[in-house]
Amino acid sequence: MELPENLNKDSNGYESAEKIILRWDSTASEDARERMIFETDRQEADLYLQAVDEIQRSLSNVSISTSSNAGKNANAVDDHSKVNTTIQIAMARLEDEFRNILITHSSALETDSLFDPSSSSISTPSHHELEEDDTLSNDDSSHHDLLQLQLQHCESSDSSTYRSTSSIREVDLMPSEAICDLQAIAMRMISSGYLRECIQVYGSVRKSAIDSSFRKLGIEKLSIGDVQRLEWEALESKIRRWIRAAKVCVRILFASEKKLCEQIFECVGTDIDDACFMETVKGPAIQLFNFAEAISISRRSPEKLFKILDLHDALMDLLPDIEAVFDSKSSDSIRVQAAEILSRLAEAARGILSEFESAVLREPSRVPVPGGTIHPLTRYVMNYISLISDYKQTLIELIMSKPSTGSRYSGDQTTPDMEFAELEGKTPLALHLIWIIVVLQFNLDGKSKHYRDASLAHLFIMNNVHYIVQKVKGSPELREMIGDDYLRKLTGKFRQAATSYQRATWVSVLYCLRDEGLHVSGSFSSGVSKSALRERFKTFNAMFEEVHRTQATWLIPDTQLREELRISISEKLIPAYRSFLGRFRSHIESGRHPENYIKYSVEDLETAVLDFFEGYPVSQHLRKRSQ
Amino acid sequence: MPATDYQASFLGRISIRRNQVIAMDGNHEQELQDLELFSKHVSERFAELLSSPDDVPFDALLSISWLRKLLDFFLCCEAEFKGILMTGNDPSQISKPPLDRLIPEFLDRSVKALDVCNAVTNGLESVRHYQKLAEIIVSALEQKPIGDGQSRRAKKALTSLMSAMNADDKECSAAKATERSWSFSRRGVSSKDRVPEHFRSVSNQVAKNWSAAKQIQAMTNNLVQPRGAEGSGLASPVYTMSVIMVFVTWALVAAIPCQERNGLSAIHFPAPKQLNWAQSIIGLHEKIGEEWKKKEKKGTAGLLDEMQKMEKLGNILMDFTDSFQFHGDITDQKAEEAAAHAAELAETCRRMEEGLLPLQMQIREVFHRIVKTRTELLNALDQVGKSSPPLL
Repeated sequence: MELPENLNKDSNGYESAEKIILRWDSTASEDARERMIFETDRQEADLYLQAVDEIQRSLSNVSISTSSNAGKNANAVDDHSKVNTTIQIAMARLEDEFRNILITHSSALETDSLFDPSSSSISTPSHHELEEDDTLSNDDSSHHDLLQLQLQHCESSDSSTYRSTSSIREVDLMPSEAICDLQAIAMRMISSGYLRECIQVYGSVRKSAIDSSFRKLGIEKLSIGDVQRLEWEALESKIRRWIRAAKVCVRILFASEKKLCEQIFECVGTDIDDACFMETVKGPAIQLFNFAEAISISRRSPEKLFKILDLHDALMDLLPDIEAVFDSKSSDSIRVQAAEILSRLAEAARGILSEFESAVLREPSRVPVPGGTIHPLTRYVMNYISLISDYKQTLIELIMSKPSTGSRYSGDQTTPDMEFAELEGKTPLALHLIWIIVVLQFNLDGKSKHYRDASLAHLFIMNNVHYIVQKVKGSPELREMIGDDYLRKLTGKFRQAATSYQRATWVSVLYCLRDEGLHVSGSFSSGVSKSALRERFKTFNAMFEEVHRTQATWLIPDTQLREELRISISEKLIPAYRSFLGRFRSHIESGRHPENYIKYSVEDLETAVLDFFEGYPVSQHLRKRSQ
Repeated sequence: MPATDYQASFLGRISIRRNQVIAMDGNHEQELQDLELFSKHVSERFAELLSSPDDVPFDALLSISWLRKLLDFFLCCEAEFKGILMTGNDPSQISKPPLDRLIPEFLDRSVKALDVCNAVTNGLESVRHYQKLAEIIVSALEQKPIGDGQSRRAKKALTSLMSAMNADDKECSAAKATERSWSFSRRGVSSKDRVPEHFRSVSNQVAKNWSAAKQIQAMTNNLVQPRGAEGSGLASPVYTMSVIMVFVTWALVAAIPCQERNGLSAIHFPAPKQLNWAQSIIGLHEKIGEEWKKKEKKGTAGLLDEMQKMEKLGNILMDFTDSFQFHGDITDQKAEEAAAHAAELAETCRRMEEGLLPLQMQIREVFHRIVKTRTELLNALDQVGKSSPPLL
């Protein structure tokens, strides 16, 4: 069969090319199945590619000749068909070669490439840190104590550990030789109209590589239902892990995949490498973000605030890189999802803060704390807002509206109100913090009413407000936000409580030591009613003993405050007793059984005062020095 | 509904509740009216879906456009439901019986629905994958005259397509693919474990033990029509919305390849036949259920109309390419037939191209809406203070 004229020149080239193609037809020969061209040797590969080029050239020639030689149709059509078949065989082969090269070089991301060896803080120890942190988090989960919030917070400031994933850093996923080969193959496939096959193969192989990397990074497939069911403590460590993994995924993994696509499809235009990139990473990216999304819609409760803020911050930090990596039209949905999650996390944070404020207000426990000491609520709340002040930077941006307080005019007894006029110029966040303290006090005031002893109620308030003041003073950020004005108010409050306590307890005790009523008017001799005096002493002793017995079990945890109050008591008690004794002891001592009435010396009382507010019961009988 | 009927039922309710103090003010009337309207709209919308003519291929049952309509209706119903739930009601109602039990159950169903949305979105990626394979087939068979080369190319893609559809139907688990996407069998492949993965069309983003059928089954738990006095107030719309939610997720899962759908047809539909507004939904459920049972035996990747067509055309074209391969020449008539089928396939691809992305976006919209309502309900519950104090 004669070939049309214009093919004659190339007929030898064509024939030998055809031979090569057919030799490697995997459907036809055992040998062709056994070996891969691009694994064999360079020369084979080059020859094959040249052969493909030759066939492609023939194809376009044949097409031209077919259309221009309508007359000699039969042969032309046959040849056209034959060339087409040859092309198809070549493309099928190239597809397999393409797949094979990809598979050979597709494995999970090496951990070495996860951590920048040039980073100042870490080289290989970083790998240990990855695991160490996990064990640490296991320990954390055994702490149920709310006060361990502090400890957990230290865990959350781990952004410094992963400086290496602080910006986009593409790594080479494949040796450049492989990339060259892939490029060469891709070009030919695409120019023969086999683009779709190319994308399919590429996507399927790279996807499984990403899957392996995901597994290595510990990215789990959790459903939203799973996330809602898990204990928050378990979720916290997952969030931590996710934050680390997400940074690696976006900045290293996805960025590198993008680069790889760009390299392989360099000569054929951006649309194609975009398509391949999305084919590869779309699913994994969605899977990655699904976890963050599940967290962002989980039920709100106060202990979740800080991890949610961590997640928010991490995502915020990643957003510019997400936008850089997913910059094509087809990746809109991913960018949009990331932004949606971010906004939900912000909403969640706001909601939790509100929820927290309500919870503090409503906290209903009625059992009075024994000894009038610091209520666990106070500790929890103050620890909580100290942590909030640590997250000031984020929260200042997020919290945009004032707290919803009660109104002075509403007559609603169940909510306090807050005077905003004096709080001009404060950020909404600061207003919220102050509001929380207001609400806390309101609640504590309510709780104090459950003490049967009014003195204890005052002591309780004193203790707790003092604690609030100490905590505020102890945190510069918190202090700055609360402001010294309000701090002064609080200080005034606990001082006031101290004064009220003293009045409540000691007025009646000291009343025993007053002058009036003891002098019998008009009497010539001593002028003092001995019976009244004896009564006084007896009453004083009984009252003091009672107060001593009771109030020794009360507690003022703060050493300095305890000292101050005792000194204040002493300052009133001791001189009064001393002067009373001085003036009237002779009258008692001149009568019978003075020891029944003058039971205590001044020193005895001084010593007894030291027992106050220690929180321990003392023996019923006061130490009596003098008899 | 004619005015007299409305009044009769209104009065009827009053007589039942004679012993209760009813607020006969405008608010209550308005509430009842809203409820009636809600039921009416539900009934109308689903009747429209049921009556979608089968012969108009565009809107056929479980086609992409039908699904989009379904989701549209869901969003409308949801909006009305939300309106009823949130406005003008004493918020503390939520914490009283029967809502104190019904609302948390509803919220639980919502979470399951969210997971179904995600699974279906993942499944749509599979469908996209089929579309891409089908496009190869179309472009191969488009060329005239069809030569051996194109036929082989088409066959290769057809093989991939059919095995992908088959594999995906086996619950997206590691495929025991009966066909290979390699053009030949390879011996001594070094990474044996990795080969199966490439047969799977889309990487699976769903948790291993997650089962679509089980989720939907669980959604029907405790879903019973509120009776008697319970039936007034908010319990009714909650029930209605729940039934709608169950149906919509069920239909989506029936249409689109999703992990673990065994037993989908066994799910008992939680609405009694007598229920007025539910007639159409029940009708749809039966219709789809029958289709499912029919195909279950043959094993398909899902009832999505476009996918069904793709499968049918795929089989026909597979026969064609086989005969091409083995018999050499093809009569003109056969070639023309093949071209016609290829054109049909192209049309199906086009519809997928047009409709899949909007469908995905709609599912996302549904997701958002469910989240929003859930969040607001949770907030309302917290406000009322029924949730136990979190601190101590």
